[in-house]
Amino acid sequence: METLEKLQVLAGSARYDASCASSGSTRSGGKASLGHASQGGICHSWSDDGRCISLLKVLLSNDCSYDCAYCVNRRSNPVQRTSFEVQELVDLTISFYRRNYIEGLFLSSAVLKNPDHTMERMVGVVRKLRQEERFAGYIHMKVIPGSSQELVGEAGLFADRVSVNIELPSGSSLNLLAPQKDKQSILTPMAFLGETIGNSLMERRKNPKAPRFSPAGQSTQMIIGASPESDLQILRLSQGLYRTMNLKRVYYSAFVPLTSDNRLPVLVTPPLQREHRLYQADWLLRNYGFNAEEILSDDYPFLEERIDPKAAWALRHPEFFPVDLNRAEYAMLLRVPGIGVTSARRIVSARRFAVLTPEGLKKIGVVMKRARFFIALSGRSVEKLHDRPSLIFRKLLAAENQPQKTTIKQRQLTLPGLE
Amino acid sequence: MNDAALFKNLYRYDGSTEGLLSAVSHILRHEEDPESIELRQQEGTLFSEGVFIATDPVRADELIERFSKRFPHNARDLLYCIYAEREGMETPLLHYIHLVARHGAGVRAYLTHPDVHAVQSLAKKVGREVHRFKGLLRFSMLEDGSYLAQMEPDFNIIQPVSRFFTRRLGDQNWFIYDVKRSLVSRWDRSALEFGTLESFHTPEFSAEEHEVRALWKTFFRHVSIPDRKNERLQKSNMPMKYWKYLIEKS
Repeated sequence: METLEKLQVLAGSARYDASCASSGSTRSGGKASLGHASQGGICHSWSDDGRCISLLKVLLSNDCSYDCAYCVNRRSNPVQRTSFEVQELVDLTISFYRRNYIEGLFLSSAVLKNPDHTMERMVGVVRKLRQEERFAGYIHMKVIPGSSQELVGEAGLFADRVSVNIELPSGSSLNLLAPQKDKQSILTPMAFLGETIGNSLMERRKNPKAPRFSPAGQSTQMIIGASPESDLQILRLSQGLYRTMNLKRVYYSAFVPLTSDNRLPVLVTPPLQREHRLYQADWLLRNYGFNAEEILSDDYPFLEERIDPKAAWALRHPEFFPVDLNRAEYAMLLRVPGIGVTSARRIVSARRFAVLTPEGLKKIGVVMKRARFFIALSGRSVEKLHDRPSLIFRKLLAAENQPQKTTIKQRQLTLPGLE
Repeated sequence: MNDAALFKNLYRYDGSTEGLLSAVSHILRHEEDPESIELRQQEGTLFSEGVFIATDPVRADELIERFSKRFPHNARDLLYCIYAEREGMETPLLHYIHLVARHGAGVRAYLTHPDVHAVQSLAKKVGREVHRFKGLLRFSMLEDGSYLAQMEPDFNIIQPVSRFFTRRLGDQNWFIYDVKRSLVSRWDRSALEFGTLESFHTPEFSAEEHEVRALWKTFFRHVSIPDRKNERLQKSNMPMKYWKYLIEKS
């Protein structure tokens, strides 16, 4: 098969992996060399679904011996099967990189024959890129669950990020939908990666020349809406992963029904709004000092789809508000709806120069349409509504909903099968 | 304020970057209250109000060198504002440099000050475009094996963009051409040069170029999830003004 045809198949089946980040690693090949990775990451294009294209995201092979119900590449699905040759993929990566189409390579694969055989070929590609082509661009590599630890260890030495997809939020769902994978084959390499990444960081603090191991950390992905777990279960799982596995990111991928299988729910559209709210809640876990039990509880196990999780939390906790922006400490500022990490930092530094006013807040970047109900400036509330959460809720919806309604409408128009 | 008082606080320069820096240097040395001073470009008329400061490259270099050494982040704001080539920014820049010289680098956080805000937000816009072009610039392989990239950025950012690619595509010969401004940069695997072009003919691409372009277009089409199609999001992330030189979009 020609490279062009292979690319069609193998890009088409890799697209359900949500991660495309190219950040978190700095790498340089030295003078007059090919490639370097920049800390902040760079997007090179945006595909028709609006997602950023940063890496050449392909599978090495879609010729899978597993039969996971949610997956487009499962063995029982009658699709065309193909695999890249090692050199073919190396050449493709280099020729895209030289034209600045991409930031690097995202390499995943279906299980070709068995996990070790697949992983060996994948490592072969990145080894060749790094050692023969002296390629210093970004590489993100997936671990095939069940492959040997030596291979995972070697992958970490070549790639900027190595990751294992957790796929489904619970062991029982995994047993049901992906019978050939089990929880342990996913968590074991994840724990190994977490520990090795941590050790390598400590080692490099002592000796900056020590080898780097997956310097951009590890991430994972789970599919949302293919199994019955609540948002609270999902967030608890993510929180646990962040705390114990040294994880940089959890990606949530709204389930796109690609097949009818009586084990799977019937969905008209992928649950995009739920995915969006989960990402917001995930942000609260990582950067805003929240924990999962604050965002949701057993009484409210699902995120409110109409307003963002931080505003929902604020409405349940009127006792925290109003927050006086001229006095409150950083951690408290972060809890105010409409104030993000950047604007909280700016508030802290700007109030050293002058007392903050509502106009000043706008310049700083505070989203006043949300923040106004929760803040005070030098002892004075901006809106005196703190004791009436239901009224604030209605006003927030009115302020937010204009643009949101239209996006929801647009989404409903693009039903699968109608295009 | 009457006209005479207004003119007393007005300075003029010749419109060049060096002229701007010379004038700033002069004002900072001779004026007691630079915050009350206005700086504008010289008009074409014979008699224009205000004091004209002649360009003095030595003073200009000295100012920028001292400033970059002591306040690297603020110097970047300054440089990016100059790349923006926007009229009317002279006075905010003057005040900004003065504030930094007086209060130190931390002035960047004084976002409620109108001049600091003007400088920071313009620098941010330019910075954003520089960052965008790090991703959106497309190189094409010519028949002789060297690469050419064309662009039409809003701001004059060929310098920072070119420097970025010396680190990234260090082992290939390339040109970057700013079509709107007729500026060109050239990297020969060891040195970077800038120049202007009188005329430009699109050169022949190599045979390999056409193949790789077809591969890239294929990848672009197939990496998108049809059920999630969202052109509005695509356009807001990647405005259509940049599509002209994008292989996947033309």
